[in-house]
Amino acid sequence: MNIFSGILNGLGEIWAHKLRSFLTMLCVMLGVVSMVVITGFVEGMFTSWSRNLSERGGLEKVSTGNTEPPARQEAIAKLSKGLTLGDALQLKRDLPPGFVVSPEYEVRTTLFRRGKRDWVRLQGVTSSILAINRYEVDRGRFFTDLELRDSANVVVLGTWVAERLFGRTENPVGQFIDINGQPFKVVGVLKHYELMFREWNTLRWKNDVAFIPITTGINKVGRNEKLAWINVQVDDVDRLNETVDTITNILATRHNGIFDFKVSTSEGELASFAESRKNSVFFAGIIGAVTLIVSAIGIANLMLASINERVREIGIRKAIGATGRNIFGQFVVEAVALSLCGGLLGMAVSIGAIEGLRAIVPAENAPVLSTSAFVVGFVFSVVAGVLAGIYPALQASKLDPITALRYE
Amino acid sequence: MEILRFDNVCKRYPMGDGVVNALVDASFTINEGDFVAILGPSGSGKSTLMHLLGFLDSPTEGGVYFENRRLEDISGTQRARIRAEKIGFVFQAFNLLPRMSVFGNAKLPLAYHSNPPPDADERVRKALALVGMDHRANHKPGELSGGQRQRVAIARALVNEPRIILADEPTGNLDSKTAATILELFEELNRQGRTIVLVTHDPKVAERTKRQIHVLDGRIARET
Repeated sequence: MNIFSGILNGLGEIWAHKLRSFLTMLCVMLGVVSMVVITGFVEGMFTSWSRNLSERGGLEKVSTGNTEPPARQEAIAKLSKGLTLGDALQLKRDLPPGFVVSPEYEVRTTLFRRGKRDWVRLQGVTSSILAINRYEVDRGRFFTDLELRDSANVVVLGTWVAERLFGRTENPVGQFIDINGQPFKVVGVLKHYELMFREWNTLRWKNDVAFIPITTGINKVGRNEKLAWINVQVDDVDRLNETVDTITNILATRHNGIFDFKVSTSEGELASFAESRKNSVFFAGIIGAVTLIVSAIGIANLMLASINERVREIGIRKAIGATGRNIFGQFVVEAVALSLCGGLLGMAVSIGAIEGLRAIVPAENAPVLSTSAFVVGFVFSVVAGVLAGIYPALQASKLDPITALRYE
Repeated sequence: MEILRFDNVCKRYPMGDGVVNALVDASFTINEGDFVAILGPSGSGKSTLMHLLGFLDSPTEGGVYFENRRLEDISGTQRARIRAEKIGFVFQAFNLLPRMSVFGNAKLPLAYHSNPPPDADERVRKALALVGMDHRANHKPGELSGGQRQRVAIARALVNEPRIILADEPTGNLDSKTAATILELFEELNRQGRTIVLVTHDPKVAERTKRQIHVLDGRIARET
């Protein structure tokens, strides 16, 4: 019996037992789908996380923020004023020349413009923010060092803020808005940032900003001089740890030994993410493997049932000249054809399932189609199908033709 | 010319504590062109004889020779090849594959041929024409009458141009009128030179053959 007619025969058998074949294919299909979808979720989390990490400054960024001093320092906490511009200037002086230091001052306030108003997180910054947090000016310009030194009333808007105050058509550059009763000139508008997952822009926060010179923020808008953040960009990721130590030492000295600040890097986040990714992949693998084992058992079961149903056929085939090997081949071909069909079906359903889930699931967790999961799921399901088909096929090939012919 | 020879063949089955002697010291020869009936009541051992003739079973003692080759010297795979290429089977219950067309059923032995003939489809059509079933080639066995099914089964047995046709109660499931036409077909096939062994319990069926081997209690009682 040649392979081609064997395959045709197998397909014929599949068609002849539609329900049984459908159930078998369902087993394989679910195996593939569970594998692809679970891996897709893990991959999706990693993809959007790594893109968001780089948009926040990537691994080279060391962030320093305010925190409550430890309990033992509570009594002397007043000895420190928290993060100040002076701290930033000190860091700039003490850190190597290639490093960028970006002090950030934050006021939550309302911007007014001809009856329109917008509640924003107004940030007092220096031009270093462009390098560290990956911002680019699209229209107009960023404020100059002179404007920074003079605490000038100038503002750079993110696209969302600009749109809310000026609409889509009007050019905000050169116009004035009102902050805390003072006129501010809009000198620039930032680039629009977008990383879409369906209707969800995961970079929306980058458009929802307004920048003024940090000096203006402290002297004219805010009520104190406490900075929100001092971000430092190192020139080489290998120097991350020593930089954390240096910053800690400098700030501890300036804060009279009060640890009311916290120095952090994305490295910890990266490590914990890598860890959780490893765990997720591991559990995804286990779930996928269990599903595949279940589908393999399903296939074996259905093939065994099909043999019992076809004992007589096997007897006839043997009596008219089929060897054990012929019968074995026939049943293996059927198992392969079934699991191949199931595998292909599973691939199609996986695409649909992932597309569907992307529409429902929050963007940060949206699954992606992972080619490797696709291939692995498919190959494994087919291998499982074949392995599951081998035992029943062996049983079939060993049937005694006389007994098989008597079987009713 | 000798095709099959039984030389003091015994077949014993273990049954409980004892042994059943299904066949004792059976010796006979089947020559080319023979039309032989193996005749005996049920339980006489004729089915055992039939299975031995068709290489579906091996003897406990004695020698079964096919074309002067001892059965013991032939491997399982080779036996299957001989069944596919040199023996044609016809069963009482027809034993067609229900999901295959008449044509597919008749062609089945060619699928197990070691080198399938290039004119396979032509041979199937010829065999179906010979038994008068060529007009039903695309039907399923379920759509045919008993007599028609048995004709298809005979076509299946003929398609490989076998040296010998073994028919096990080929008329057992048929009414007497249909049975008569099937027996006529066998007679015609024998006239064309084909060797036929027919197993039956019915003396009237056996009468139609040229030679009868009577089996009783596992022994060959007489040959006529």
